[in-house]
Amino acid sequence: MSETSNYRTDVTPIWCPGCGNFALLNALTKTVLPNLGIPNHRALIVSGIGCSSRIPGYVDTYGFNSLHGRAVVIAQGAKLANPELTVVAIGGDGDFFSIGAGHLPHAVRRNINLTCIMVNNFVYALTKGQTSPTTPYLQRGEGPFLSLKFYPPVDPVLDMVSYSVSTRASFIAQGIATDVSNLTWLMEEAIKHKGFSFVSVLTPCVTFNPPWLFKTIRERASYLKEGEPVGLPDSSAEQPWPHDSSNITLALKLAQTPVGEKPHIGIIFRGRSA
Amino acid sequence: MRHRLTIGIAGAGGDGVVVLGSLLQRLAASQGYFSQMPRYYGPQIRGGASGVKLSLDTTRASVPADIADIMVCFNWEQYAELEQELPLGRDSVLFYDSAPPKDGIVLPENSFQVAFSETSKELTGKTAAKNMVALGLLERILDLPESPSKGAAIEDEASALLERNGLALTAGRRLLSEFPFSELRLSPPLDAQAKVVLHGNSAVVQGAIRVGCRAFFGYPITPASEIMEEMQERLSQGNGVFIQAEDEIAAVGMALGASLTGAKSMTATTGPGIDLMTEMIGLASGAEIPVVLVDVQRCGPATGIPSKLEQSDINHAIYGGHGDAPRVVLAAYDLEGCYRLLIESFNISEYYQTPVILLSDQRLGQTTVATSSDLFEADYAVVERKRPGREHQEQYRRYAMTDDYISPMALIGDQGLTYQVTGLAHSEKGRPSFDFANNQRMHEKRWQKLTPLRDRDELVRVFGREESRKGIVAFGSTAQFVLETVDDLGLQDELSICIPELIHPLPNRLASFVGSLEKLLVIEMSYSAQFYHYLRSQIDLPSDSEVYARAGGMAFSRKELSGPVTKLAR
Repeated sequence: MSETSNYRTDVTPIWCPGCGNFALLNALTKTVLPNLGIPNHRALIVSGIGCSSRIPGYVDTYGFNSLHGRAVVIAQGAKLANPELTVVAIGGDGDFFSIGAGHLPHAVRRNINLTCIMVNNFVYALTKGQTSPTTPYLQRGEGPFLSLKFYPPVDPVLDMVSYSVSTRASFIAQGIATDVSNLTWLMEEAIKHKGFSFVSVLTPCVTFNPPWLFKTIRERASYLKEGEPVGLPDSSAEQPWPHDSSNITLALKLAQTPVGEKPHIGIIFRGRSA
Repeated sequence: MRHRLTIGIAGAGGDGVVVLGSLLQRLAASQGYFSQMPRYYGPQIRGGASGVKLSLDTTRASVPADIADIMVCFNWEQYAELEQELPLGRDSVLFYDSAPPKDGIVLPENSFQVAFSETSKELTGKTAAKNMVALGLLERILDLPESPSKGAAIEDEASALLERNGLALTAGRRLLSEFPFSELRLSPPLDAQAKVVLHGNSAVVQGAIRVGCRAFFGYPITPASEIMEEMQERLSQGNGVFIQAEDEIAAVGMALGASLTGAKSMTATTGPGIDLMTEMIGLASGAEIPVVLVDVQRCGPATGIPSKLEQSDINHAIYGGHGDAPRVVLAAYDLEGCYRLLIESFNISEYYQTPVILLSDQRLGQTTVATSSDLFEADYAVVERKRPGREHQEQYRRYAMTDDYISPMALIGDQGLTYQVTGLAHSEKGRPSFDFANNQRMHEKRWQKLTPLRDRDELVRVFGREESRKGIVAFGSTAQFVLETVDDLGLQDELSICIPELIHPLPNRLASFVGSLEKLLVIEMSYSAQFYHYLRSQIDLPSDSEVYARAGGMAFSRKELSGPVTKLAR
């Protein structure tokens, strides 16, 4: 077996050196798919448009690099018509939370057994640095988000964890691209979950993020462990509570923490299987 | 005795107009009569104006006459809304419930005020059964059987309704002491075999089930919703997939996903829905994914008039979307076509791996037709998509160049044939490719593979005298009105009429038909004459060419079309 495992195609990624998407690609092809023993022909990876949406071309399973925002609808159609497939929808923050945001609550309420991996790099990177719904609010002159230096985002962030929790997705997790072993575990748990599973992957964009952004996220990241006290931002007056991923009320409390202040890494909520 | 009779019924929503029309149509169908019954309704959810126009015919499902022979009116206020579509003539026999307003309506000579509501109230305490009283009266006029249960092929629901209302029906039969209506009698039907009753939207569904459609995704929209509702019922009975999606984008997206796994997949909508589906149509064209879309056209642009017909989606169906994205466009012009062409749509879509848009319209979709059940018994070929054989293992090229430009298509789930679909320009292997020569070749592949369709002569219908140098081209439900008008004017031996069911790519038979003419008349329901301009863009038209085109809303009438048709024949 070659170093890149038999789940990689011979297509060279278009990503920048150091891009967080490499971590995701490696996790998928070297660990997740082999560990779960999913034969190449039994997996379908559907993506939208964006940097992370290039992934299907690099994975030797069935794949579909489809339209901006529509990965999750194509994924549902395929899964319904062939339930034996393992179906994963992958896309970015612009894909799932801007142009395609209207599809997510419906995928959630149908609770079809597929996994949605949202690669959050906080920016539209493929189109070279525009504001996305997850770009942090910045003061003018604060930056640099390169192209956003003079016109920083003025609208509040749409937080994908709180969105997923509020629509009651049956599995919600958040990983970080710089911790591949943890991310691998989260993706495996998500795929094994019978129902709609949502994984947010915090990912550095080496070209358009200001370097402090991901540094801060890594420093403040707090790993959720069952039964152990959750991490809370310094500003929080609350007493940390023991993490219980089966409790939606506690998941809602976790979701109230802005990702920039205390990114919760781990399984945020795991509801009943479909 | 007559061979044909048109009955108009007008009232307010809640008067039971459609129920009355439907029961009459079904009773007559059970005796063997053919019929057509378009529905006229407005934007109201409940109430508002409601009308039907039922043509009973002994030999074929003819278009109702412009002016009804018999008119039943339950509500004059609402009738005013319907007057354009249900005009009263001097010779109409009118039955009305309450006195008409003092001014405005000129009653025909044979007008009878009949106590439909009062009789219902006397019998049941409510006026709700007035439509049943009217049904009794009409049954007697038409000499339909007294006991509905004796008629065959009446559904349980209708049968139960008739039985529950036996008293009202009987009362209706006895309403008039004098009965001067013998000249409204219908001759016995050509054959007594019971006719099936369905509308075009339902015919589409039956075609889908017949051809093996296994996945339907839709979103409610007038006048296409019946397709979604019936598909839900049909697919939930078997091994099918049905989702009412969150919007039309999702509906067609899901259909593409399902199709890639091998399920014959479709959606149905009307103009605004097609707008939203446009990006996915381009994707299906570029990535060569079979999918069938039914467009039950209504008045546009924007919301337009949702409950009325138009034929103005032609441009969008053929050209909609960015880039050069070939697709196949078919158009049914009658009920049988809704069924047969839906089967054909899947056959073409699966064989050529391309999106197919089947155009219908509000008139076709929602007009119930009583016709012979032969429709369903005919032999229809079912075509499946070309699949890769064993020789393709290891070196599978999804978009391999072949002699006919059609590449064997692996289904997602097939072992050893993994490939990646993409909306990007791609190589034969399906890999993203920015090679310009390859891009040119792939365009050629997607366009050229459809060329054989141009020779599908049977998808172009020619009527009248084929050798005539004066001809009419019309498509969709408009073609029915053209045929009837030519018939009524007795011009069958002087004109030829060409009805293309294949619109795009343009069939050769249509081109040769037009090429053989000295005088051409195109009739269509589109203000900007989209179909005429499409023809002009594709073929040379005779120098003496005219178009009769107008905005939609009201169906064409014989009277309206007799002008341009007579002019052509002169």
